[in-house]
Amino acid sequence: MQAGGVPNQATSPGQLTSHLEAPKKAQPQFIMRTFSTATRAALGALVLSAHPLLRAESQDDIQALRAQIQQLDQQLRILERKQEIRDEEAAAAAKAAPRIAITDKSFAFASGDGADSVRIGGLIQLDSRLFFNDGGGVLNNTFVLRRARPIVDGTFEKIYSFQFVSELGGTGSPSILDANFGVKLNDALQFKFGKFKTPIGLEWLQSDSWTFFDERSIATDLVPNRDLGLQVSGKFDGGVVTYAAGVFNGVPDSTNTSNADFDNDKDVFGRIYLQPFKNDPTAVLQGLAFGVGAGLGRQKGALAVTSGYKTDGQQTFYKYRSTVVADGQVWRVSPQAEYRRGPFGAIGEYVVSTVNVRPAAGKPKAQLENKAWELSAGYVLTGEDSSYAGVVPDHSFSWQNGTWGAWEVAVRYADLKIDPKAFPTFADPTINADEARSIGLGLNWYLSKTVRTTFDFYDTRFSNLVPLSSTQILRQDEKAFITRFQLSF
Amino acid sequence: MARAAPTLHTQRTLSLIMKIFAYRLFIASILASLVSLAVPAHAQKTIELLNVSYDPTRELYQDYNAAFARYWKAKTGDDVVIKQSHGGSGKQARSVIDGLPADVVTLALAADVDALASVGKLLPADWQKRLPESSAPYTSTIVLLVRKGNPKGIRDWDDLVRPGVSVITPNPKTSGGARWNYLAAWGYALKKYSGDEAKARDFIGALYRNVPVLDSGARGSTTTFIKHGIGDVLISWENEAFLALKEPGGDQFAIVVPSLSILAEPTVAWVDKVVARKGTAAAAKAYLEYLYSDEGQDIAGKNFYRPRSAVAAGKYAAQFPQVKLITIDEVFGGWTKAQKTHFADGGIFDQIYLPH
Repeated sequence: MQAGGVPNQATSPGQLTSHLEAPKKAQPQFIMRTFSTATRAALGALVLSAHPLLRAESQDDIQALRAQIQQLDQQLRILERKQEIRDEEAAAAAKAAPRIAITDKSFAFASGDGADSVRIGGLIQLDSRLFFNDGGGVLNNTFVLRRARPIVDGTFEKIYSFQFVSELGGTGSPSILDANFGVKLNDALQFKFGKFKTPIGLEWLQSDSWTFFDERSIATDLVPNRDLGLQVSGKFDGGVVTYAAGVFNGVPDSTNTSNADFDNDKDVFGRIYLQPFKNDPTAVLQGLAFGVGAGLGRQKGALAVTSGYKTDGQQTFYKYRSTVVADGQVWRVSPQAEYRRGPFGAIGEYVVSTVNVRPAAGKPKAQLENKAWELSAGYVLTGEDSSYAGVVPDHSFSWQNGTWGAWEVAVRYADLKIDPKAFPTFADPTINADEARSIGLGLNWYLSKTVRTTFDFYDTRFSNLVPLSSTQILRQDEKAFITRFQLSF
Repeated sequence: MARAAPTLHTQRTLSLIMKIFAYRLFIASILASLVSLAVPAHAQKTIELLNVSYDPTRELYQDYNAAFARYWKAKTGDDVVIKQSHGGSGKQARSVIDGLPADVVTLALAADVDALASVGKLLPADWQKRLPESSAPYTSTIVLLVRKGNPKGIRDWDDLVRPGVSVITPNPKTSGGARWNYLAAWGYALKKYSGDEAKARDFIGALYRNVPVLDSGARGSTTTFIKHGIGDVLISWENEAFLALKEPGGDQFAIVVPSLSILAEPTVAWVDKVVARKGTAAAAKAYLEYLYSDEGQDIAGKNFYRPRSAVAAGKYAAQFPQVKLITIDEVFGGWTKAQKTHFADGGIFDQIYLPH
């Protein structure tokens, strides 16, 4: 803990102290000074008024009176000084005292100097999914607790950070989503260890809370999700150049690690992202960013095969045969770009995912290359800035005050193509699509920084190599209307 | 006999080993390149040191830091920026133990630096041997500062226990200077009462009954006496008293040299754990060693600290009054014993002082 008059340095991880205010101190010193000034004035007036009465008294009495006044003056000064010391000590104690803040950003606890902090947050997403023209109930209209996550993160000694997130929602069992800690030596050099998002896809790396649409595009199906490993990252020149590189266990596309590696090999990922005009507020291209993420590795076994690619409505439209095993090199590359200017924002990325697979152990293998791309754009109708980190309304929704938060419209197009070599050896053409193309239209209502409601319509068209059987959901296009109620803090 | 050609299995194994090696070398080279980009290059750098000091040394280290920065730049080509923290010596020591990242401490007494070693485990127990003169590059003593004309007729320690005399001195629980003040008065009382501890205790009790305000540090007490006009006499560091006379309005005060005072030895040390973590060991050591140089000693003398070097001591001899000095070792058995007897929780000071 710091004390002794050395000013605190600004903190980065956790940035909690900016809204943590020391308690206001009382103003007894002003009251004391006013009182003592008035008392001195009264004493002086008393002496002056008494003077005519004392003309006949001896000089000794006058001296005694002066001594008394000096004594009273000293006592007043002592009282003032003691109060001043008490105020200084109170201010120093307040500065060193732990701080607790409950805000719309989180529940935060921090040491007086801000070096240590813990933040408790959460994410709740309740979806309503309506499917149209799905042949009468093949797809269930349903409410879904899409995500329910308690989030704990924080810092120690300013340079050590940690994050722990569990997933209690979704359709799987409760699990640990993120569990990692980091060491930040400086802006350009930070290390992270544990389970966290692999540094490749632009849309994937965005927070689950603040994407344009409530579901990421089908292009993000081709990138791995969270994995176990270690990463070095940093930024230069205030974020003009951002990089990340890491070594991970390796997971298939669209998969979270199960906390154990299924083979002996590792995957390497790297991403570099440039915002060349970031520090020039006058540049029209200040909000332009672009980069590339890539991954290279070797994977082996049945667990190294993706469980499938899903539509915006979370229906699986492509899956390998159950006997398929991975055996060989895996590589992915994703050039990506983003542009934000005022209320307008757009992101786009192209993803290639290459795997080496065998139809069954011992069978000849093939290299399959699946490709996807997406382009999304949004516009904040109420004028607030579009942001990768979410729109912050100028005025939160308030029925009493007649303010309506922020409103944003969004549009997206995405396309995912399966390598034709996958069929029929590695995937059954009668139950899988070989391509999906999706259009999304969205309306987002940001009631506050922490509450968002989204209204999204998706129309996903499938192409199939052969006609599908009547029971397959992919027999017709997916038309889904998904509403999400979200609390994120 | 010709060696058999490697089998296909062996060839594949060797190939796999080579691929793994190349793969890991590739990863290592990428990471090394990124690290070298992020880690600042070695040529000309700026080193930052934090000097945690006791209360009245602001002017001393303002002058000294500028001189050291020039010296270090000339010697190494690097820039050094020294940040200062000032406060009561005991309070400062506690702050460092609690985590204030001091590269060096320049505190009022060895006991406070000892606490960094024994409680904080921040430096070795034998730290005092690492620099000359038991790590005390300059000394001082305790004098009495009175108002112009000395209206209360303060001549010696006896006058501080008279009824009606208001004495200003800081809190010995937080201030190193206050502990020197206390021990100087106690030493006088012991001499006056031929070693009678009980009478010395009564003497000190009477003195502290005349103290209306206890500041946390020596500079605070100076502020109380000079700026706020409280008290008849300030028990003060010698250097602090001389500085007060130099300031505007200093002609309103006068120094009274008591018949006996104490040799005060402020000590300095680099904080091993902090400099090891920050990589500032060389600069921190050099910073303290330069205090013993001709320039460092001259700066000390100019700021009214009694230099150790014969040259500087001779140059500034005329500005320091002659005063009989006792030492902490000869009268109190050293700082460890004095701290435990007088200033630890429940010690003599706690027993005799009642806030009023």
